[in-house]
Amino acid sequence: MTPEFTVRLAWRNIWRQKRRTLITAGAIAVALLLSLVMRSMQEGSYSHNLDNATRFYSGYLQLQDSGFAENQSIDKLLPADQAFVERIRSIRGVTIAVPRLESFALGAAGDRSKGVMVMGVAPQAEDAYSGLAERVLKGRYFTSEDEKAVLVGGKLAEYFSLRVGDEFVLYGQGYHGTTAAGLYRVAGIIHFPNQQIDARIVYLPLKTAQALYQTGNQVSAWVLHGNAVKEIPALEKSARKQMGKDVNVRDWADISPELAQQIGLDRASGMFMILVLYGVVGFGLFATIAMMTLERRREFAVMLATGMGRAKLQVLVVLESLFIALTGVIMGLVLAFPILLWFYYHPIQLTGNLAETFEEMGFEAIMPFSLAPELFAGQILIVLTLLVICSLYPVARIFKLEVAAGLKGNL
Amino acid sequence: MSIQIENLTKIYNPDTDFPVTAVNHVDLQVEQDEFVAVMGPSGSGKTTLLNMMGGIDRPCEGTVIIDGTDITQLTDKELIGFRRDSIGFIFQDFSLLPVLTALENVEFVMQLQGKSRTECEARAVELLNDVGLGDRLSNVPGKLSGGQQQRVAVARALAPKPKFVLADEPTANLDAQTTYGLLDIMQQLNEKEGTTFIFSTHDPRVIERARRVIVFEDGKVAEDRVARAQKPEDRTL
Repeated sequence: MTPEFTVRLAWRNIWRQKRRTLITAGAIAVALLLSLVMRSMQEGSYSHNLDNATRFYSGYLQLQDSGFAENQSIDKLLPADQAFVERIRSIRGVTIAVPRLESFALGAAGDRSKGVMVMGVAPQAEDAYSGLAERVLKGRYFTSEDEKAVLVGGKLAEYFSLRVGDEFVLYGQGYHGTTAAGLYRVAGIIHFPNQQIDARIVYLPLKTAQALYQTGNQVSAWVLHGNAVKEIPALEKSARKQMGKDVNVRDWADISPELAQQIGLDRASGMFMILVLYGVVGFGLFATIAMMTLERRREFAVMLATGMGRAKLQVLVVLESLFIALTGVIMGLVLAFPILLWFYYHPIQLTGNLAETFEEMGFEAIMPFSLAPELFAGQILIVLTLLVICSLYPVARIFKLEVAAGLKGNL
Repeated sequence: MSIQIENLTKIYNPDTDFPVTAVNHVDLQVEQDEFVAVMGPSGSGKTTLLNMMGGIDRPCEGTVIIDGTDITQLTDKELIGFRRDSIGFIFQDFSLLPVLTALENVEFVMQLQGKSRTECEARAVELLNDVGLGDRLSNVPGKLSGGQQQRVAVARALAPKPKFVLADEPTANLDAQTTYGLLDIMQQLNEKEGTTFIFSTHDPRVIERARRVIVFEDGKVAEDRVARAQKPEDRTL
């Protein structure tokens, strides 16, 4: 039997019971629509929020000295000279690289003191990358590369009762055991989305921070960004290859494990919902396939009697199931794509408490959608997996079918 | 072509307290071109005998030798190929594939044989013309009467040029006029194609056309006689 004849026969067979086929395909379509909308929203949000969040803190990747991650010692630094910059440029996929000098110090103002996190940033490059200047609630952003000014987190400013123009002291351990001490004027008060960091963060211009810690032209990390979140693994691979063993390449999930865990949990709960949905649809598909098998047992027996091989008959029924599933998939995609396309260009704007919660977490209060091809491929793969599982039943039935019994109507 | 049946036995539920002997040590021989009716009451074992002759069912004992091949020794896969190439089947309820047209139904077994599309179509058109359905090629079974469907089934059975055709009560669902029309066609094809026809039936209209009548009772051949087959013009409705 030619493949064309088999395909024609299978296609016509599924329309013998039009209503049943349409209901089954419709159930698959609705499941696909719902799961695509859910996953598109999830992945779109993860990607967008991750891009936002990583810009402000971890970057997609960070290059650090191989010993820095262990205890964040000020002695474990990377160069910030032109030669090192050239090495960074050789990493495939890097679109932005900004230097940061991160350490700890004792902050003091008035009669209060507290351990703070000091972040030295290159003012222009950092603002271009993370939009730091936009986070300034009061006062101003840095105006020069080496001014003796600090930006203080809102909660920290509250703790010290700091206002713009007040003096702020930093005291700690500098490079190779030197003493780090400096007096700075508060240029501005910023809002850092993560409240824990907001209560500890103090920004300095990079050169000012390097002078404070006496590091010379060195930094604790180079923050790297790429074209898209999905390209992080390739970026990481290239970075490891180009930078060698002396430089530790850490991705955002390694630097911000809480965020990675939060996304992982959310993704898992979404997948669970989708599996429940597909489980219900799977039973519907199975019921249809089982009915198509049981009600045609005599027909199958006649086909076997007249000389059709069991394998060919099995291919025929699997093809029928495949056509039902593909009809559902096509219907689902036709329904889902315009919706996803609309929300891709018009993300849902969050309002009220939910918006505040998002902003607190450092995320923009929108729910963007993703149109990533792998999202569609993943859902189609789930439907096809369901199909394979459901098809095992008719395949087994045909394998065991005794022709004489089948002609009497027994399976 | 010859079919040689020796000591053929089929017992259902053999290991239980109530075994049923459907075919009981039957010996039979059928030759080329025969037009044979196997008659007997319901439950006499006619269908079981035909099923074993056609390799659809396996005997508990005995052999079915067709042109020197003992089909009881063939594997399931070999039997499927044997049935496809050597045996045509006609069923009581026609058993056409409802989604295929008359032409496609007749082409079906030839497609399984791997014949070319042109060859399949030419043979199917010829046979459908022979059974008087040349103007119904593109009709699906649902658009044909019972008699027309059974004529398509006859054409389908003959399409692969089988050694013999097994027909299990082919006229049971047909009225007298249609039955005689169908028997005319089968007789003509029997003569034209030289194909052996073996019917199971208790329809006297079929029996009066058979050239040989085998009476089956309680799983045994009670009588095997050469009959004087009526010609189409002799029939009485």
